[in-house]
Amino acid sequence: MRLAPLSLLVLLASLALGVRASEVLVVSSELSPAYQEAADAVVAELGRREVLQLPLAELTAYRGPAPRLYMALGTEACSQLARAPLSTPVLCTLLPRASFERVLRETGRRTGAALSALYLNQPPGRQLDLIRLALPQARRIGVLWGPDSVANEGALEAAAQVRGLRVVGVPVRPEEPVFAGLKKILEESDVLLALADPQIYNSNSIQNILLTSFRAQVPMLAFSPAYVRAGALMAVHSTPRQIGQQAGVLARGVLQGQALGQPQFPLQFDVSVNEHVARSLGLRLDAASLTERLRRLERGS
Amino acid sequence: MRFLDIRARMLLAALLPVTLVAVLLSSVFLAGRYADLDEAHQQRARSLARQLASASEYGLFSANTNSLQSIAAGALRESDVRSVLILDAQGQALAVAGWTGQVVLPALGAQEQQWVDAKTGHDLLVQPVSPSQLQLDDLFEVRGRAGEADAPPLGHVVMEVSRAGVVSRSQDMLAIGLAVTLGGLLFGSVLAVRIGRGVIRPILRVSRMIERIGAGELGVRGEVRPDDPLRDLQQGLNQMAEHLQQGRDELERRVTLATAELRMKKEEAETATRAKSRFLAAASHDLRQPIHALGMFVARLAQLPHDRETRHLIGNLEASVRAMQDLLDALLDISRLDADAVRVQLQPVPLAPLFEQLRGALMPVATDKGLRLRVRDSSLWVQSDPTLLHRILLNLVSNALRYTGRGGVLVGCRRSRGGSHVWIEVWDTGVGIPAEHQQDIFREFYQIGNPERDRSKGLGLGLNIVDRTARLLGHELKLCSVPGNGTRFQLELPLSPAGDLQALMAAAEQPQQVDDVRGLRILVIEDDRQSAQALRGLLDSWGCVVAVVEGLQGALTVVAGGFVPDLVLSDFRLRAGESGMQTLHNLRTRLERPLPACLMSGDTDPELIQSCRDAGLPLLHKPVRPAKLRTLIRRLARPQPAQD
Repeated sequence: MRLAPLSLLVLLASLALGVRASEVLVVSSELSPAYQEAADAVVAELGRREVLQLPLAELTAYRGPAPRLYMALGTEACSQLARAPLSTPVLCTLLPRASFERVLRETGRRTGAALSALYLNQPPGRQLDLIRLALPQARRIGVLWGPDSVANEGALEAAAQVRGLRVVGVPVRPEEPVFAGLKKILEESDVLLALADPQIYNSNSIQNILLTSFRAQVPMLAFSPAYVRAGALMAVHSTPRQIGQQAGVLARGVLQGQALGQPQFPLQFDVSVNEHVARSLGLRLDAASLTERLRRLERGS
Repeated sequence: MRFLDIRARMLLAALLPVTLVAVLLSSVFLAGRYADLDEAHQQRARSLARQLASASEYGLFSANTNSLQSIAAGALRESDVRSVLILDAQGQALAVAGWTGQVVLPALGAQEQQWVDAKTGHDLLVQPVSPSQLQLDDLFEVRGRAGEADAPPLGHVVMEVSRAGVVSRSQDMLAIGLAVTLGGLLFGSVLAVRIGRGVIRPILRVSRMIERIGAGELGVRGEVRPDDPLRDLQQGLNQMAEHLQQGRDELERRVTLATAELRMKKEEAETATRAKSRFLAAASHDLRQPIHALGMFVARLAQLPHDRETRHLIGNLEASVRAMQDLLDALLDISRLDADAVRVQLQPVPLAPLFEQLRGALMPVATDKGLRLRVRDSSLWVQSDPTLLHRILLNLVSNALRYTGRGGVLVGCRRSRGGSHVWIEVWDTGVGIPAEHQQDIFREFYQIGNPERDRSKGLGLGLNIVDRTARLLGHELKLCSVPGNGTRFQLELPLSPAGDLQALMAAAEQPQQVDDVRGLRILVIEDDRQSAQALRGLLDSWGCVVAVVEGLQGALTVVAGGFVPDLVLSDFRLRAGESGMQTLHNLRTRLERPLPACLMSGDTDPELIQSCRDAGLPLLHKPVRPAKLRTLIRRLARPQPAQD
């Protein structure tokens, strides 16, 4: 709320000065390597002259001319910009779908030409495809539905049905121990599909969940390479660079007069495999080949 | 005591720092070790609790009570772990091992807790079991949302740990600490005592040496050691003792010399005195015989009819003989006083007859010198010995007359001490006695201004006899004299109640009869022919029947011849070493009756006088005065009717 008059002031000042504006203002929630990588990809896509990059903390001090597009990297930046009464469109990226939807709920805004997003999450079909490629015998897909992820239940069920898979889902209420639901899923599933939901999968819980799934000899398909490093069998994910590149393409479209459309899933992706885990489970998987096969599958469809 | 004090102080000075350091060090050491022990215990307990928590994590996550129970039971294998309780996030106990339930648990949070239970004394640790974190660094992680960074604990591990091990090790430590302290103290004490001894011993040695020197043991020397801290003092003491010893030896040598010299002198003096006494005794003895005879002859001569001129000559002759006898009497008195042979018989004595006798005896002398002798009559009686008192007064007045050229001599008396005593005073108008001589005049043979020993001035024995006799009687004698003006002698006597003067006078005069000894048979044993002849003549003139023999043999012969003596007069020293006393004894034995007897001797030997007294024999000293002899004969031969 504090930011609104400030932003207005910034815009008014920039107009009055008549300075030549950058076309895209990239606002990073933080200055971590991932964000920088994404920002760099945007710059590579659009060219340096079109892009001005600012950390969120410096936004209030910005006195430059208004851009034609705000690009928010991360949830915080998205939330701040979504709250500001801007005429300039805002593209939020490098954030999970659930976070964007929360921002929408909190600000009461709708997606459209003024506000859209490029999710970090993978589309449900891609994850299911990877399961089919890597674990052809797996039919039952276990999912823990948390408050954030439960919204995707319908989409996943539909995608699974198309691919001849069955989703075994157990809802986990907030503040409830994961273990009971997890145990049930592991008993009834061939693979555990982890969907991003901080309520369930976080740095505190991941070890015990991985341990439990490993003991049950049920492999986990996760949503980020960090989980693969922590002990998940594999993950399909998009790198910040891939996201930034796609965001740059979207921004160019806006600069060229196209309106921002509905939020999108990333188009490019990578597959990570924890070969130790795979060996332990008696599997032989190759990340590069899986990536290639998955990409080919998507292109072919 | 002072040296003990020094010793104690030395010990204190040495031991105090040692003790302080030992106690301080062990206290610091012990305190440090206690803290270390406690910390180690705490750390161990804490790390055990953390291990338990870490081990319990998955069990709690998966609510696996079996695995938790085995973890808890496994923890109990640690010797000091008393109990383990594993609680889930809701506080429900999932595993219990050894838990008695005595301990009341506080509210459990996300913090580690540790306390000592008051009831059991055990350490209690509460360790929250947090899920282990894996840093994902993931874009899906939503940062800044509360409750996600700090996950709530999965549960709690409560562990009860006994402190017995710590306590026991603390006690061991204390014991070791005490042992080390005591050892240190002991070592320090031994060291202190040894070092202290090194200092105190020399002091005590020097002190003992001083004590011995003080006690006169000057030969003592202290050993001078090169390592002695008091070496200089010791050397000085040795020198001092040596000087002292030399000084004392020198002094002793001189004293010995002086003593020897003195002894020699004393022996010389004693020898001289003895020689003098012997000479005096011999001289008086040898003088007595002829004077004795002379007296007898003169007495005999006076009884013969003579013309007037001859009678006058005889009178002068008698006076000269009397003067000679007086001199010898004085010598005799001194001898008797020397021998303590004078027996004092105190009795009431009237002064009147005494003064009368004085007047009678000395008036002729005074008249001869042209002096006035006045004796004031007195009716007083005194407590004294009449014979000795008479002799004192006779000497005093004779002396006064002797040293008075003109004027006169006055004898009187007055009461003193409130009437209980009387002063008999003898005044003269003589030359007086200078103050410096007033003590000396009472000494034997002391005469002022008579260096040529003019015998007409006497022997210088009179005042000595007076003084000694007065002391014997207990009478005080005082002298007051002014040279050139005269002298006053005072004799103080206790007064006595007046007695019957008439009876006394009558008793005294009763035996005065002319022929009281006539017809007595007297045996004279005398080896000196002259004396024997004179005595026979005198006794004959008194009408006695006399037989003269020279010894026991003659006496026995005479007795055997029919002479029965009423009385025996015997010389003490007879011819051929025969003793008169022995002769008399033999004679009495032979006659088988206690024959009255009397010894005569020219000897003034005090021992002789004493032995006669012991044998109960009267002793007459030569020259025997006829009057005295007659009185004695009368008393011995005819005992008074009152005594029968």
